[in-house]
Amino acid sequence: MASKNRGPQRGGRNNEPDPVTRWIVIGMVSLVVIIGAVFTVVSNKSASNVALPPGASKEDGYGIVFNGDKKPQIDIWEDFQCPSCKRFEDANGAKILSLAKEGKAKVVFHTLSFLGDESVVAGMGGGCAAEQGKFLEYKSFMYANQQEEHSGTWTKPYVISMAASAGLDETKFAACLNKDKYRKWLTNVAAAGSDANINGTPTVVIDGNVIESDQQGINYYTADGFNAQLAKYGIK
Amino acid sequence: MKLTRENFLPWLGLAARLALGGVLVVAGAIKIPYPYKAAAAMRAYELLPNSFASFFGYILPWFEVGLGLLLILGVATRISGLIGALLMLLFIGAISSAWARGLTIDCGCFGGGGQVAAGETKYLQEIIRDIALAVAGFYLYFRPDSHFALDNRGK
Repeated sequence: MASKNRGPQRGGRNNEPDPVTRWIVIGMVSLVVIIGAVFTVVSNKSASNVALPPGASKEDGYGIVFNGDKKPQIDIWEDFQCPSCKRFEDANGAKILSLAKEGKAKVVFHTLSFLGDESVVAGMGGGCAAEQGKFLEYKSFMYANQQEEHSGTWTKPYVISMAASAGLDETKFAACLNKDKYRKWLTNVAAAGSDANINGTPTVVIDGNVIESDQQGINYYTADGFNAQLAKYGIK
Repeated sequence: MKLTRENFLPWLGLAARLALGGVLVVAGAIKIPYPYKAAAAMRAYELLPNSFASFFGYILPWFEVGLGLLLILGVATRISGLIGALLMLLFIGAISSAWARGLTIDCGCFGGGGQVAAGETKYLQEIIRDIALAVAGFYLYFRPDSHFALDNRGK
């Protein structure tokens, strides 16, 4: 047990621990913890004056807005890498595409990056695609060719080649993605998601009401289930 | 060497340190690359205002790794054990409260977290695991002697 003596006891035969080593280790561990924690908090904070892709609106949580003057408003919080988001897209992607393109509702796409680096690359690509007016085409193509989570496939060169296959201007897209033009925009989208208490993807919100699948007897992973929800808000 | 209580307990202390410290380091390290997810897991408990919950979600993984390292190295074992045990009690309280309020979430202890289907909650297992770890922590508080600890240097 620790005795009350202070200071290092060199070569002592008593039970005094070596306080120097101990405090060095405590100091180093504390330093790493503090630096890491501060860095994480700061790098996840929303920033002003960030480059926004065309269509992104601060008022709508930095989401990319289609048909800003229409009602009702459908907010879709998603991560291109998330398997459940793909299930949702497979069932309802075409419907949402038509709502956005035909101006039947205000649709806001919030590109989250829950799943780490590959999601960030894919999400930044969403901003780059919006520059070319092809966010929706890019999004559909990414889901159609989704890889297994964390498989490491979605590197920048790979996503650039995907964008090219989806019909985007490869040179422009590459220039945009390679300089991380929309990284801070993604951080702002994520911070807005925290503020809006979005804790999973996909999260679908219609006129401010969260539509939760598997709860309230809703299954929005089928077209029928999702269309039934849309019908409540007058969308056919 | 004859096995006695006196020469057995330091091995038990080592086991307690490695169990609690190891779980903390692993749990923290898994979450560090996905801060947004960790923050979302924290918010899903609906215990703190959003911004506080997110803040703690960002810093908790770092804290877990730090505390876990101290335990594994055997530095300030007594106080690290106590803090670890109190942290586990906090987790047990949060999980119990989520359970009692009828939330259906994953504890998010090792990444993940957030809403799960009603039949997929694992509250009981999560609580039992955390009780075992809390016991390890309290043991170290009352009996910090253990083998291979930096605390032993100079003895």
